[in-house]
Amino acid sequence: MVDALSAETRAKIDAEIAKYPKRRGALLPALHLAQAEEGWLPPAKVRALAEIFEIHPIEIQEVISFYNMFYDRPQGRHHVHVCTNLPCSLRGARGLLRALERHLGVRAGETTPDGRVTLGHEECLGACAYAPMLRVDDRYCEALDADAAKEIVDRLE
Amino acid sequence: MQSAPWVTNYLTEHFADDAFRTLDGYRARGGYEAARGALGRAPAELVELVKNAGLQGRGGAGFGTGLKWSFMPADAGKPKYLVCNADESEPGSFKDRLLMERGPHQLLEGLLIGAFAIGAEKTFVYIRGEYAEAARVLQGAIDEAYAAGILGASALGSGFRHDVVLQRGAGAYICGEETGLLESLEGKKGQPRKKPPFPAQYGAFGMPTTVNNVETFCHVPHILRRGAEWFRSIGTEKSPGTTLFGVSGHVVRPGLYELPLGTPLSEIVFDHAGGVRSGKRVKGVIPGGMSMPILPADQLDVRMANEFLRERKTMLGTGGIMVMDEDTCMVRAGCIITYFFRDESCGQCTQCREGTGWLHKIFQRIERGEGREDDLAVLEDVAAKMEGQTICAFADAAAWPVQGLLRHFRSDFELHLRERKCPFAHSFEL
Amino acid sequence: MAKISVDGVEYEVSEGRTILQALDDLGVLMGQVEIPHYCWHPKLSIDGSCRLCQVEIEGFPKLQIACNTTVKDGMVIRTQTERVKKAREGVMELLLVNHPLDCPICDQAGECKLQDYAFEYGVAHARTREPRRAAAKRVDLGPTIVFDQERCILCRRCVRFCREVPKTGELAVFARGDRSLIDTLPDQPLENDYSMNVADICPVGALTTKDFRFKIRVWFLNDVPGVCTGCSNGCNVYLGVANNKVYRYVPRRNDAVNETWLCDEGRLSYKAIGAPDRIKETALRGAHGLAAATRGAALAHAAALLKRAVDAHGPGAVAGVASAHACNEDLEVLKRLLDGLGAQGCVPVPTWRADDLLRKPEQAANAAGARALGFGDPAPILAGIRSGAVKALVVLGHDLLLPAFLGGAEPLAGLEAVILLDTHHSELERAAHVVFPARHPAERAGTLTNHAGLAQRVEPAVEPAFEAYCEGEILAALGAALGLTGFGVAPAAGAGRAVA
Repeated sequence: MVDALSAETRAKIDAEIAKYPKRRGALLPALHLAQAEEGWLPPAKVRALAEIFEIHPIEIQEVISFYNMFYDRPQGRHHVHVCTNLPCSLRGARGLLRALERHLGVRAGETTPDGRVTLGHEECLGACAYAPMLRVDDRYCEALDADAAKEIVDRLE
Repeated sequence: MQSAPWVTNYLTEHFADDAFRTLDGYRARGGYEAARGALGRAPAELVELVKNAGLQGRGGAGFGTGLKWSFMPADAGKPKYLVCNADESEPGSFKDRLLMERGPHQLLEGLLIGAFAIGAEKTFVYIRGEYAEAARVLQGAIDEAYAAGILGASALGSGFRHDVVLQRGAGAYICGEETGLLESLEGKKGQPRKKPPFPAQYGAFGMPTTVNNVETFCHVPHILRRGAEWFRSIGTEKSPGTTLFGVSGHVVRPGLYELPLGTPLSEIVFDHAGGVRSGKRVKGVIPGGMSMPILPADQLDVRMANEFLRERKTMLGTGGIMVMDEDTCMVRAGCIITYFFRDESCGQCTQCREGTGWLHKIFQRIERGEGREDDLAVLEDVAAKMEGQTICAFADAAAWPVQGLLRHFRSDFELHLRERKCPFAHSFEL
Repeated sequence: MAKISVDGVEYEVSEGRTILQALDDLGVLMGQVEIPHYCWHPKLSIDGSCRLCQVEIEGFPKLQIACNTTVKDGMVIRTQTERVKKAREGVMELLLVNHPLDCPICDQAGECKLQDYAFEYGVAHARTREPRRAAAKRVDLGPTIVFDQERCILCRRCVRFCREVPKTGELAVFARGDRSLIDTLPDQPLENDYSMNVADICPVGALTTKDFRFKIRVWFLNDVPGVCTGCSNGCNVYLGVANNKVYRYVPRRNDAVNETWLCDEGRLSYKAIGAPDRIKETALRGAHGLAAATRGAALAHAAALLKRAVDAHGPGAVAGVASAHACNEDLEVLKRLLDGLGAQGCVPVPTWRADDLLRKPEQAANAAGARALGFGDPAPILAGIRSGAVKALVVLGHDLLLPAFLGGAEPLAGLEAVILLDTHHSELERAAHVVFPARHPAERAGTLTNHAGLAQRVEPAVEPAFEAYCEGEILAALGAALGLTGFGVAPAAGAGRAVA
C-alpha cells in the first residue's frame, strides 16, 4: 500500500511529521510531496497516505477536494494560471486569458492534447500592481501582454 | 514584483538591498538586536509595551495586537503556540509577499519576540500555497537562523527554546481566517471554527495559540528598538505606525507605498500613485482589499485609518487600494467580486453558502441585461441576511462590497435594468 | 444549577450545558420552547452551521446560536423577537434557493423539517429566479440508503453520525461553498449495522431508506409506541401503521435504552409481523399430517396427549420450552402450567453478533423475563429429549431447533406429544401434534424485560387478519382442560388484552 509512494517521498513525509505535535499536522505538506511525484493524487497514493496518517482515506479525499492546488485527476506537465480577480481584470486579465485559450486551443480548466499545459484561471495571487499576470507552476510571470504570455507558454516543455 | 516599495519607511527602507534578505545583511543593519534585548526582559513587559504602542493587527481586522497577546493564559500547563498568518489572499493585497521576499529576517525577529512575549515554544508560519518564492526565501532564512543559533534550543543563547515550522497552504482564501487557518494547519479542510472557544483557549492542536499577520510581526522589532512613544509619533492617535498600502487598478504607478496610517486616500492615489492613467477621471476606489466597501470619487479625502474609514462605512482592511476609472462598469466589478466570494466560501453556514451563490447569480443576470425591478431590493436583503450571523466574518466580507456598490453606484445597476444590457462599452472586459 | 429565562419563563438547568441541551434535558425543546434547528442533534457533536437556532440573548449584541452557547445563571433568552424572526426567515429562504421542488415525489413529505420550518418560520413566496444547483439524484449510497444530493441542506448530521456512532465514517463533505456535496468514496459505500439511522436524522428527503421508498405517505401512518423484539436491548420504536399493517419501525427516543438509534436488522424486523410464513390457523396432526382444526378440538387433543403422557411416564416426562420472544404475561401462565403438572421448564436463548452500541448478545426481547420467571438452561431438557426421558413437550417458538440446542427436529420424532405455540412456520411443525398460531408482541398488550432488567410495555399496533392467540390464553385453556387448579374457565378467543 505504502509502496504507492517512493522511499524518498516517504522519508520527507516522516521528516515533516516530526515537526508537529499531532501527526495529522503534516498532512498538507505530505499531500504536496505526494503530488509532486506524478502531478496529481491517485487513489493509491491517497490510501498510502491514509495508512501513514492512520485515518480513513475519505478524510484525505475530502481535504484534496477542498483545496485548489490538490488534484484528484491527471494534470498537464505544466500549470498555467491567469489571475482573473478584480485588479488584474481591470488591466486586461480576461483578454489575456482568452488569448491564451485561443493560442493553446483549450478552454480554461482543460489540458492541451499533448499533455503539456493545463490552462486555468485563479483568484488573486498577490501581484496586483503588476497586472495582468499568471502563475506557471511555482513561478510568477508579471506585467504581461498577450504576446509575452504566449512566449512564456511556448517555451514550456 | 518590485524589490522595494515606491515609498519606504522603517519596515522597508533596506529592501532594495539584496543583502538585507540574508542573515549577515540583516545583522549588519542591526538585525536581531531588538530580539536579544527582548529575550532579557519579562514577557509581561513586552506585552505591555506592544499594548502601549497601540499596534493594530495588519491582517484586516485591526484588532489590538498587545491586547490579543494578553489573552494568552500565563501558566497554561501545556504548550503554547504562535501562528503567523502568511496566507495573504485578499484581492488587492500583496504587501506580505514583499515583506517575506525582501525582509524575511525582519519577520523572523518579530516572531521570536512575539513568541517569547506569549511563552510559545513553537511558531507555525502558514503561508499560502501559491507563494512558492516567498516560502523558499523564508525557509532559507529559517535555516540560516537555526544555523546561527537564533532559533532552536536556546534562541540567541537566552535559554528560551524556539522553533519555527513553515507550512504551505494549498489554495483556499478561507485559510486566511484565523480558525480556518488553524484547521488547515492541523491537516483538515480550512473550515473556520465556532467561537467560543477562542484560539487563546483552544488553538493550534487544541493548545493556547495567538495568530497574527505577517506585517503585524514586522512592526514589532522596531517598536522594541525605538519604543512605544516613537511608534505613536507616526500615524494617528488611534492607528499608529505605518502600513504598506498596495495600489492597483487604473493608476499610473501601481505598487506598494509604506506610509503612515492616516494618510489621505487622495494623496496616495493622486500624489504617490500618479493618479488615473490615460487622463481619465476616477470613478471609485476600494480602500482596503476587496472585502471592504467601495468609496466614490467624491469621498477620496478620507484619511486611511479605521477610525475615519468607519465613518464612511468602510474599513482599512489590508490596505489594498483598487482604483477604478470613469469607464468602469460597477456591475461587472460586482460580478468579479461576487464570483470570488462564491468560489471561496467554505460552505458551512447556510447564509454564506447559499447567499454567495445567489448574489453572484443575480449580478451575472443583471450584467447580461436580464435584470428585474426587484433584483436590487433582493440583493440588499440577501446581503443584510448574511451579515453578523455566521461562524466567521466571511459572509460579512461577501455582503459588504455588494452593499457598498449599491450605496454609491446604484445608477450603474439601474442603467442595466433600463437598457436591458450593459451600457458601459469601454469598461474592462469581463 | 443555573436559572435561565426563555421568553419570560424561568427554567432551572444544569451548568455546562448549551441552551439547546439544557432545554432538551428538561424535555421542553420543540414543545414549550420552540427553537427550530437542523444541524444540532442531542446525540451528536455540535456543528453550528445551519444557523437556524439563532436566538437573542441579553447582553450579546449579535444573535447567538443556541446549540453552541453555554447557559449561565441569569441568562435571558428571547426566541420570538423580530430579529430572531428575520434571521429564521433568512435561513429558510436561503435553504430553499437551491432546494429542488421535489415534495410531490419525495418520501420525506409529511415528516420533512424543511417543509415544517418553511411553513412555520419562512417566507411565503420564493424570490429566487436563478437556476438551481444540479446534482446527483437517486444515488445508490449503499445497501440500505438512497441519496438525493440536490435535496441535501448540508447539515452534516449524517457525516457526524457515521463518524461518531458506528464510527465507520463512510460519508464526507467534498469541495466547498455552494458546490459542497456529501458523498462516499467510490469503492466504500455506506454500509454499517446502523446505516438506516441516517434517514431518520436527515431533516429532509436527501437520505431515505430503500426499504420504505415510495411505500406509503407518512401522513397515513399512525405511530404506535412499541419495542423492537430483535434482541434483548429492547430498543424503543414507533411502529408505522396503516391499513392494519406495519410499514416500518422508526426509533423512539429512550435515553436509557437506545438513545435515538436502532440497528438496521432490528429496524427491519418489523417484516416478521406481516411475513407470509406466519402460522395462521390452529392445526392438529391426523392420519394425513397436520390439518386445520378448531381451537376447541385442538385444545382437547392437546390435553389428552399430555394427560396420557403424564399417566404413562409420570410428570418428569413432560417438559416445557419457553420462548425468549414471548411476553412475560404468557410465560407466567406457562410456568404455572408446568408447575401444576410438576414438569420442568427451560428457555433456549438464541444469540447473534453483538456490539458495543445497541446490539446485545441475546437475540430475543424477553430472555431476561423468561429467566426471571424461572426458566433456565435448556441442557437438562435437551438431554432428556435425546435420551428419550422426555416424552411430551409444550413448546413456545422454535428456537429449540437451533444448532446450539437440538440442531433439528429429528430428535423430537419419538415424542408422544409435542404441543407447539408459534408465530411463524418452521421445521418443528413436522414433529408437532398440535399447533396453535401465536400473536406477535405487536399484536397484543404485554411486557418484555430487556437485558438490564427493564420491563417495557407493548400495546397492540395491528390486529391479525387471521386466527392468532396470546400464548397465555391457550396455555390457560390447556391448564383448565387438564383440570389443574387456578386456571378457571378458558377465556374467549382473540382477546387483545393480556391476562394480568
